[in-house]
Amino acid sequence: MSEETMKAARDERRTATMARIAGALEGTRAKTAEVRDATPCILVRPDELTDVLTRLKERGGFDTVTFVTAVDLAPATPRFEVVHQLYSIAHTDRVRVKTAVTEEAASVPSCIALWPGAAYMERECFDMFGVRFDGHAGLKRLLMPEGYIYHPLRKDFPHQGIEPDRLYREWDAERRREFDPEAAR
Amino acid sequence: MGSLTPADTSSEGGFFTTQINAVVNWGRKNSLWPMPLGLSCCGIELMAMIGPKFDIARFGAEAARFSPRQCDVMIVAGTLTWKMAQAARTIYDQMPEPKWVIAMGVCSSTGGMYDSYAVVQGIDSILPVDIYVPGCPPRPDAVIDALLKLQKKIERESPLKDIFGGPDVIDDRGTDQRTYQPNAAVDKSKLDLHPHDPRARRGSVAHGEPEAKA
Ligand code: SF4
Repeated sequence: MSEETMKAARDERRTATMARIAGALEGTRAKTAEVRDATPCILVRPDELTDVLTRLKERGGFDTVTFVTAVDLAPATPRFEVVHQLYSIAHTDRVRVKTAVTEEAASVPSCIALWPGAAYMERECFDMFGVRFDGHAGLKRLLMPEGYIYHPLRKDFPHQGIEPDRLYREWDAERRREFDPEAAR
Repeated sequence: MGSLTPADTSSEGGFFTTQINAVVNWGRKNSLWPMPLGLSCCGIELMAMIGPKFDIARFGAEAARFSPRQCDVMIVAGTLTWKMAQAARTIYDQMPEPKWVIAMGVCSSTGGMYDSYAVVQGIDSILPVDIYVPGCPPRPDAVIDALLKLQKKIERESPLKDIFGGPDVIDDRGTDQRTYQPNAAVDKSKLDLHPHDPRARRGSVAHGEPEAKA
């Protein structure tokens, strides 16, 4: 295949994807803002997110969610950008939905009603960035220990951590106290 | 062999005590059952070591058990995170005395390349380590060497001192055994050089000396 035919095929695919996205989002304020890495990106407000995702899934054919994550843009405001990347198995194309949230109101609606598998990704995102997902029943930490109070992938978190051993030391002191109350005193 | 000497009745560590210690230590050091705590990539190398090719049955340590209650030596092979630290410490506590710890690989020895919020920067901050094995991962030979060094260390322990008295660690002076001390200097030969080192093939230069000009 020559260079031109490949480019033409790519453009045709791109046009078809754009048309499907535009059709799915017809009647809402959301539309494709830019194309990055050959993936159309849609910028939405948090209150529109559920509507946009539902339309993309049911009318656009984007039937799986590849990942749910966030980007810390500090010191810019709004600080976080929650990213949902969707994939269409039938059409083998992708779309990215970005939701800007501020640090004070860092929460977006959960999409586990659409994709139950997103539950773990939302938990990880909450663990690493502290972005809350409203409607998620078990929004607990996934990777860091329970009781940890920091969010490690935030830009202001030092890479060596803040008191990384505190939970262990507390547990250890408690254990020693149980084992030998005299010695621990 | 050390020559037989009359019992020294003036001090606590007598002839009889030493011999019982030697028998107990001999039994302990030759039946070290490892607790394989394979936490990441080093665990794969540990599996190779426990397998038939490296045959640690030669040193009485082939019986890797996955119950800490049957083990003597915990081999921490891999990156220990703070979240895992509680589990590792619990496993260590469940092992019956006497027990020893080998830190296998740079991750468990020092945190290694993971200078990060999640990783314990050296397991000696939560466990008493007897032998550190450098390497990323260490070859099974290196861990077998650690096992042998641990055996040397066990030889010098004084397990019956609660009953018979005596020192914590048996002094090895006067035993005529040059390599009794685990980390004593041993003669280097060209076998100690890396096989790709040109000096290893020529065999003319002693280890550690600058290479002679041709
Ligand atoms: S020392 Fe190297 S091989 Fe061993 S656990 Fe760490 S990174 Fe993996």
